[in-house]
Amino acid sequence: MIGLIALLYLAPIFCSIPITIAWVMEKKPDYARKLPILSVFGLFISLLVSLYILFNVQDGKYVIEWLPEYNINFVFIFDYLSKYMGVLTAFIAFLIGVYGLEYMKDDYRLGWYWMFFNVFTASMLLVVYSDNLLMLLIGWEGLGLASWGLIGHWFRDDDPMSYVGVMDRKVWKLDMFWSPSFGGWRAISTIRFGDMPMFFAVAAIYALTGTLNISEIDWGALFHHIGTPGTLILILCFLMGPFTKSAQLPFSEWLMTAMTGPTTVSALLHSATMVAAGTYLFMRFSWYVEPWHIHSLGLEYTYILVLFVGLLSALYGAVVAAGCLERKVLLAASTMSSLGLMFASAAASMWLGKIAIYVAFWYLIVHAFAKATLFLVAGHLIHVTHDRFCVGDREVAKKMKLAFIVTIFATISLSGIPPFTAYWVKSAMDEVMHHLIHEFGALPLTLLILTSIAYAAFLAKFLSLNFIKGEKVHLHLHGGQIMGSAYTVMVSMLLVLLVVILGEYEPHAAEFVKEGFVVTSFIVGVAVLASYSFTIYVPRIKQLSPVGTFLSDRMYLPFLNDFILPKIGWFVAKIIDYCNKVIDFSCHKAIPSAFEGWSIGIRAIQSGELNRYIKIVVGCVIVILATISVLGW
Amino acid sequence: MQELSMLIALILISLGAALSFRDTRWVFATSMAALAIAISTSWNAYTFFVVVIAALNIVSLDIMRKSQIKGVDYALVALMGVATIYVFFVNDFAMLLAMFIVVSVPTYLLVMVTDNKANVDVGIKYITFMVLATVLFIIGAILVVHSPHGGLLYVLGYTMLVLGLCIEIGVAPMHEWVPDVFAAADPIPISIIASLAKFVPFVVAYKILVSTTNHLTPFVTMILAILAAISMFIGNIGALTSRETSRILAYSTVANMGYILATLAVIINFNWIYLALTGAMLQLIVNSMGKIGFFTAIKEGKGSTPLMYVLALSFIGLPPLMGFWSKLFILTSLVYVGYLWLALVLVINSAISVPYYIRIARNLGKGWVLSLANAIALIAVIIVLITIVPPDWFVEAMKGLSETLIIKGV
Repeated sequence: MIGLIALLYLAPIFCSIPITIAWVMEKKPDYARKLPILSVFGLFISLLVSLYILFNVQDGKYVIEWLPEYNINFVFIFDYLSKYMGVLTAFIAFLIGVYGLEYMKDDYRLGWYWMFFNVFTASMLLVVYSDNLLMLLIGWEGLGLASWGLIGHWFRDDDPMSYVGVMDRKVWKLDMFWSPSFGGWRAISTIRFGDMPMFFAVAAIYALTGTLNISEIDWGALFHHIGTPGTLILILCFLMGPFTKSAQLPFSEWLMTAMTGPTTVSALLHSATMVAAGTYLFMRFSWYVEPWHIHSLGLEYTYILVLFVGLLSALYGAVVAAGCLERKVLLAASTMSSLGLMFASAAASMWLGKIAIYVAFWYLIVHAFAKATLFLVAGHLIHVTHDRFCVGDREVAKKMKLAFIVTIFATISLSGIPPFTAYWVKSAMDEVMHHLIHEFGALPLTLLILTSIAYAAFLAKFLSLNFIKGEKVHLHLHGGQIMGSAYTVMVSMLLVLLVVILGEYEPHAAEFVKEGFVVTSFIVGVAVLASYSFTIYVPRIKQLSPVGTFLSDRMYLPFLNDFILPKIGWFVAKIIDYCNKVIDFSCHKAIPSAFEGWSIGIRAIQSGELNRYIKIVVGCVIVILATISVLGW
Repeated sequence: MQELSMLIALILISLGAALSFRDTRWVFATSMAALAIAISTSWNAYTFFVVVIAALNIVSLDIMRKSQIKGVDYALVALMGVATIYVFFVNDFAMLLAMFIVVSVPTYLLVMVTDNKANVDVGIKYITFMVLATVLFIIGAILVVHSPHGGLLYVLGYTMLVLGLCIEIGVAPMHEWVPDVFAAADPIPISIIASLAKFVPFVVAYKILVSTTNHLTPFVTMILAILAAISMFIGNIGALTSRETSRILAYSTVANMGYILATLAVIINFNWIYLALTGAMLQLIVNSMGKIGFFTAIKEGKGSTPLMYVLALSFIGLPPLMGFWSKLFILTSLVYVGYLWLALVLVINSAISVPYYIRIARNLGKGWVLSLANAIALIAVIIVLITIVPPDWFVEAMKGLSETLIIKGV
């Protein structure tokens, strides 16, 4: 067992060491351009191990001792969530690795890229299979580090193709275009901001319960012990990590500018796996806390918050994506939207039980494959059109038939058009929100439906503006076989999932089929189909252009990150500068002058006349004697 | 036994002084011999240091090219030295008062001695204050001794004794004579006044006050503590901007006397007297060594840089020099009896005193100088460096001596 685990984590890392060393030793080691194959092989080994775990390992835990006297160990848990997620992560990582062999083959920093790519995969697998919170945090931090390294991969900021936003565009005082180095910094600083409360929450959990294993903590007793305000603070601090990592409002900006990284990075990290780590953690948390059994007011308030933050982020993301004209930013906003839906659905488990978590999880799986496919296609399009905005007319559809078909299939499957893959999962989600009618009225369901309609709209817009009704553009077609194969295999997974769901090979997914046949779900499906079809023919409405610009500026949310927060920072710096000045003044001016004054005053007594001295001395003596006699009486 | 050797020493001194009109070198020899005899029967850590101080003072008198009382000055200093050695073993109240005067009066003569004309102005200023001090001290002592059960007389007597002591040694706010006298008189006699003449007033005060403690003592000790604190501040702050080196040293004396006066506050708890006595005596020795070293350098016009700096650092209280240990013992004794605020004031004042001591060392230190003054400074520095070996031997000696503090017949 321990050999398998070692293989799972160490294979990707060790296989990247040769190429990293080669790139450190020389500036442009052309002989090392074959070494990425070794890195991808490492990913393949991880994939094999995760498949083995899925099919051959019993549900349970495996413990490697670390600090047994503190009850902190490496605890690997193999349950429903971790087995499927592990395979998902490894498989997508492998496919994108293969894609990257062609996509990144002319890059100038391959050592950096492949090392962080594989470190990322190892960290994500650590997060997935972790039961111990400290071990999870190690993986969590690894994700953040890899994210920074990969987003800022083209750190020289010399290629406008790697930027996000229209170059040199300003809104009021703010630059609305971001460079890779800035994107990388934004990612790590936002995630750090969320990690800090999370660390404190984990420390608090350890202090209060004595253990860090999610499956073993007595959550009910813990919440009862710290009361409603305590529970609220603890869980909110803990959830700050997932919120920032999964780019929920108001922390979504980093995800948008993370598109400065290579497309492979966007596909792996920012659609399928890393950002999903936040929602995955929340799902795991809900799975073991079982909030439907615990009567805790604090827990309830937290879950209400998560529900609505999720739904609002979903709506925001979908609407912003509908206004976006940049390929990857559109997909990034849509990822944020889907993550919001995952959070909302998992949060609904408070009132509906475990089924809501299954819905969220299956949506995660479907979304992962579909979004990764779309990102890979977008990357191929960027290579071919040399433009990161949505451009391309029917000539593109003719010259890149494979990409066209894959995109059609992916978008239709993801939007929730019956009877394709996402339709069943989305129907289950509709039902979940429908059941919440008793607590929150029609609000959750309405938000979900609006989001779904906008979602279908922008997926259709992506398809239309790139392949059918976009601007004409010059094409640089060469190669593309490896890239094409990668995303074809990726999209075919959606077909596999459809078969799994419809064929009832997976008992919980079979539930979704039931939901799919409910009338309301069908109506939503038809609405989504209508939205999709409409947008294919009318991808852009000229009169709504101002609205579109407002949306593609992300409703001016960048001002929070780039304007308001820096102002707060500068204000704090000003206060500290003032305090420094006060200390400076007192040490260098105030105190020396005071002492100088007193000293001169003391010396002024000495006038040289005996008369004066005698008067002073005799006066003192008499005064003191008199005071003493009075006091002593 | 001690009385006998004191008698012999006194006879030697008088003989020598009388013979001075013939040959002044005889007086030098007899004075040194008298000191040796005096110390032979009462050898302990304290008397050892006192003898060194007295010897250094006698030798430093040779730096003066001319002296109005050449010859007799050796004898006067030897007389002061013998009295200082003897004072701990005096058990008689009248003898104690006599010791006080014996140490005070020779300085009246010494202060007027210069290389040129006798400095009568300075003498008048100095003597006026000293007489006032002596009178207050003696009256206060008599009142205190004759009202052992407290009452208004005790309080008055205590205050008068303390005030007399303050004027005698130069404690603020009665310190006005110190800067003028130290600046105007010849540095060599000042080095004697600033070093040897300070011991006996304190020891006599200790003996009288410790023997007459009663229920009112804690109350009246407050005055003493307040005077000490005022003196520390005025001395240290006044020295910060003084221009002449001898004036800086005058204010330094005021401050140091404040430190030593603070130790008298410990009489409220007899268990800690030995520690306060240790601190006081060590601080007096530090003060003496420093003043001798600095004033002889002022007389020469220049001193050796390393020696000047070591003396300055000892005054500041840098471990492991003697100045550190003396302040440490004073602080611990104050803390143990409960005078925390006074201890804090002492620490703050030590910090304030750093700039002007360094200034003194910088003004006086000019390379390496070969002269009698330098030799004297060298010995002073060696004494100050003795406490590199921690002075628990001195504490033990003081423990023994504190037994002798109570005088008979009181």
